Amino acid sequence: MTLFLLRRTGLLVVALAIASVLVFVLLRLLPGDVAATIGGFRATSEQLASIRAELGLDRPLPAQFGSWVTGVLHGDFGRSQLNGTSVTGELGRKLQVTAPLVAGAVVVALAVAVPFGTWAAVRRRGPIGTGISALSQIGIAVPTLWLGLVLVLVFSVELGWLPAQGFPADGWNSPGLALKSLVLPWIALGLSEGAVLLRFVRSAVLGVLDADYVRAARAKGLTKAQALRRHGFRNAALPVVSILGLQLATLIVGAVVVERVFTLPGVGSMLVGDVGNRDLVKVQGEVFLVVAAVLVIGFAVDVVHRLIDPRLREPR
Amino acid sequence: MIRRAWRPLLRRPGGVFGLAVVVLLVLAGVVSLWWTPFDPQATNPGQAWLLPFQGGHLLGTDRIGHDQFSQLLAGARETLVAAVASAAVATVVGLVLALLAVLTPRWVGAGVVQLIDLLVAFPVLLLAMVLAAVYGSSLATVVAAIGIGFGVAVARVARAELTAALGSDYVLAARAGGARTGRIVRRHLLPTLAPTLIVQLSLVMALAVLAEAALTYLGYGSSPSSPSWGGMLHEQQAYIAARPLLVIWPGLAVALTVLGFNLLGDALRDATDPRLVTTR
Amino acid sequence: MRRLLPIPAALVAVVLTATACGTGGAADPAAGTSAQAATPPDDQLNTAATVNVRLVLEPSSLNIFSTSGAALDQILLDNVYQNLVSVNPEEKDKIVPQLATSWEQAPDGLSYTFHLASGAKFHDGSPLTSADVVWSLQQQTASGSKAVYGAEFASIADVTAPDPTTVRIGLKSRDTFLLWNLTQRGGVVFKKGTDFATLDGAENGSGPFKLAQWNRGSSITFQRDDAYWGAKPKVAKVVFHYITETNAANNAEQTGQTDVETAADPTLLQPFTSGDAFSVLKGTTTDKYTLAFNGTKAPFTNPDVRHALRQAVNKQDIVKAVGAGTVIGSSVPPQDPWYEDLTSIDAYNPDSAKQLLAKAGFANGLQLTLDVPSIYPTSITDVLVSNLKQAGVTLTVKQVEFPAWLSQVFKNHDFQLSLVDHAEARDIANYTKPAYYFGYDDKQVQQWYGQARTAATDAERDTLLKQVAKQISTDAASDWLFLGEAHTVVRKGVYGVPKAETSNRFPLANLAVGK
Repeated sequence: MTLFLLRRTGLLVVALAIASVLVFVLLRLLPGDVAATIGGFRATSEQLASIRAELGLDRPLPAQFGSWVTGVLHGDFGRSQLNGTSVTGELGRKLQVTAPLVAGAVVVALAVAVPFGTWAAVRRRGPIGTGISALSQIGIAVPTLWLGLVLVLVFSVELGWLPAQGFPADGWNSPGLALKSLVLPWIALGLSEGAVLLRFVRSAVLGVLDADYVRAARAKGLTKAQALRRHGFRNAALPVVSILGLQLATLIVGAVVVERVFTLPGVGSMLVGDVGNRDLVKVQGEVFLVVAAVLVIGFAVDVVHRLIDPRLREPR
Repeated sequence: MIRRAWRPLLRRPGGVFGLAVVVLLVLAGVVSLWWTPFDPQATNPGQAWLLPFQGGHLLGTDRIGHDQFSQLLAGARETLVAAVASAAVATVVGLVLALLAVLTPRWVGAGVVQLIDLLVAFPVLLLAMVLAAVYGSSLATVVAAIGIGFGVAVARVARAELTAALGSDYVLAARAGGARTGRIVRRHLLPTLAPTLIVQLSLVMALAVLAEAALTYLGYGSSPSSPSWGGMLHEQQAYIAARPLLVIWPGLAVALTVLGFNLLGDALRDATDPRLVTTR
Repeated sequence: MRRLLPIPAALVAVVLTATACGTGGAADPAAGTSAQAATPPDDQLNTAATVNVRLVLEPSSLNIFSTSGAALDQILLDNVYQNLVSVNPEEKDKIVPQLATSWEQAPDGLSYTFHLASGAKFHDGSPLTSADVVWSLQQQTASGSKAVYGAEFASIADVTAPDPTTVRIGLKSRDTFLLWNLTQRGGVVFKKGTDFATLDGAENGSGPFKLAQWNRGSSITFQRDDAYWGAKPKVAKVVFHYITETNAANNAEQTGQTDVETAADPTLLQPFTSGDAFSVLKGTTTDKYTLAFNGTKAPFTNPDVRHALRQAVNKQDIVKAVGAGTVIGSSVPPQDPWYEDLTSIDAYNPDSAKQLLAKAGFANGLQLTLDVPSIYPTSITDVLVSNLKQAGVTLTVKQVEFPAWLSQVFKNHDFQLSLVDHAEARDIANYTKPAYYFGYDDKQVQQWYGQARTAATDAERDTLLKQVAKQISTDAASDWLFLGEAHTVVRKGVYGVPKAETSNRFPLANLAVGK
């Protein structure tokens, strides 16, 4: 186990290091720089040069990379070149929208996927199983952004229950409004994700149902539901949890789209805006954190998997 | 092997449906090259906001007089190109990475595997954003991003399959017989991989259609003036209250297409993999 | 499953009702008014009120000395910072007193003398004197200055302060643009010795409002300066909310999160024009949507091609697609004194456009690429594509982000056609700079412009600038698609809202809220 942890941690560190180089180099390919954004129409080339010098953009790339990485190692992801705000602070504020958005969507996804996926597995041959499977196929095929638009159409335009777009100007200080503006995004993102997850839940439960211990339990006289409740769920939960971990990356991307559909001021809209402004220090901080989050989640899922599943443990 | 798969494929309702949708998509795309009821790019303020069937516009027009049905047909072309081209790029990326991982010396292969795992963590969207910023937004940008992004996923599956194939008796026999690596890849590995790859690709096409619509909607795809389903969604969103139907059509088209590719992929898998038939 | 079913059912219902309401549901060309309800007398006003205003573009920094961008001018000029003189956009940009109560020009035109208002002071309480004015202007004219507008003051020879309330500007040559340039950000009066590096998120202006708070990414709050030296503002606080998306902005206005919505989309005003809870104000802008030709590159070196492209585009169609606007025949908006109607030059004529293209050797069609920053409505380029197709030109539209446009088109001149909103007021000088990205080089135009600058009278200047405007149009130096129109939605009970050129400056001095 220790050996596994050591090796896996080593891999994580290497991956993070490669990711930081990749992010840095990729972004230097972009045409145009933040000096042009600051200088605008009127700046002369001397003025642009002095802005660049002030921001350290004229230093050699390895030096820029070095100071960035040093900062990251000290927990400082740098400051916006445009307005001097710290990347971590800004990210923290935007996460106040994106984190609840993703978390709520996961809840919705689980609430859809677990009961219906189990139901579909238990009744796999009947019309209910087929029906749920068909619906999940449709759910996977429907683009999240369009689902969002249709929800807006029904609940905002027609019924007028929920706001179509936007987030209250003072954020969570008006909690009622903030919650209301997150309901449709939650449903849009959650249903899309839930449809994908449902298929994994269904096949995991199917696998468990065919397992010997469930058959044995049923032979003892337990009903299908009882057998599943006593023995099946823990085993079925394993693959579902790791899939959910992997899907988090997809969810974050889905969140960017949903933020755009509902014009929520989250991490996604910030990223799009910062790339547009060529505020590269900020962009590389944000992108690196997103990639790092995905890598760390992958690491955590691996480790948890190892801990829970006795079959994966190496012999002592 | 593939030819034998046709009949079981057509015996499944999902397979028939998927095939029908894909054929329809191809037809729409090809027909739109020569004929659409109206020029999909023509604007006409005098013909703005027409309802379905008004003035011969089957699905009506938007606020500057674009015929929506013609745009939908022309948009099918865009979707089709995105799906096929992304799948092609994904195949190349996936095969190259997978072959590198299994055929090179162990330490190189391990590195490639790590690279694959790392690239999987790079969301397609980020790739598209960077590519669009460097080379400008275009269909090619989107295809490259999707192709590379999903190619990595294809590589994962292909690597597992190849590793198994490499350990199989006939490959060992061929090796023992002195066959060169190139010949083994051509004669043994690729044919073994083909069924899996075809299934994967039909799923990649489904994902590519979704991703293309989303990326074009976000503004990283083809120019807003060339008709595409994602672009239509983007353009009509602001007028959703005034003209809800205009948002419905392109979304429905995307959903139907994705459903088609997915069902086709599932049916292909069931048809080519005898092991799966019993568990269904 | 049961929970999922109602959605398709509801969908059908929506579709049916939407079909039933017919063309009335669609946004018709904007209705609106230019008249605003009169502000009630002071005793009927709520002077403790906060007004929430929707603006579009957030400034990246509040350093008005060295950071460019209209987003800074919009909120800071007239409100936080003050100049010797200012302009009134509601009255065709008339020059009005601000820190200077009066001024005179020497008979030879080579010097101006300004008399400062008494009692003017900065937000830190220190008095504003002629020494501050002199110092501020010297920062603009100093060599190597980082000031955005520094180059505009090249004609200034010296600035002196004969006494604490008088400023004298001596000129190397007559400059009919001096007063105008003093109204812009180059004329802002800072406290002597201000360290400009501290201005990124703080200020020490002399205007009626103080910067209270800046929530980056969402809002900026101004607070009334209760110690303001002039007439006190009638509201206590103004919060600027930065909302880019139009629908989100409409939503914020409807739900009461904002009281004033600037830059409303004229095609989406339906919720505000029905009923009397809101009024929609229409005003002028200086937003000249300019289709630029790369004049130094083939095929645009051939005037026939430029004229053909101008004649191929139906400007009225574009205005209809955008929802509002004015067709202009050159780079001058109607509120400028040297405006004249030039729309008959290269008027819409697809047949003539085709003939001109054939004459230029493009009878079989022409392929062109248009670079456009992704922030403008796609309906403009949609109409361009459609119109140009009629004339046999296949147009490929390439959307680029603004910094990429700046480096590729603006700086490296690597483009064929470009579409950008030249939003700056009185910027016709761009056509006198051969190195500008238009690549337009006409000695006569440059000479006229130079003469206009040193003209003895404004009338003489205006005549010369009219010649410039006409010449660039007859030369088809660019095509001017339309001049934008500002639409401002105002909640009932809010008075004194600026309506003209609101993206250049948004003065809050008259803003008031009824009790």
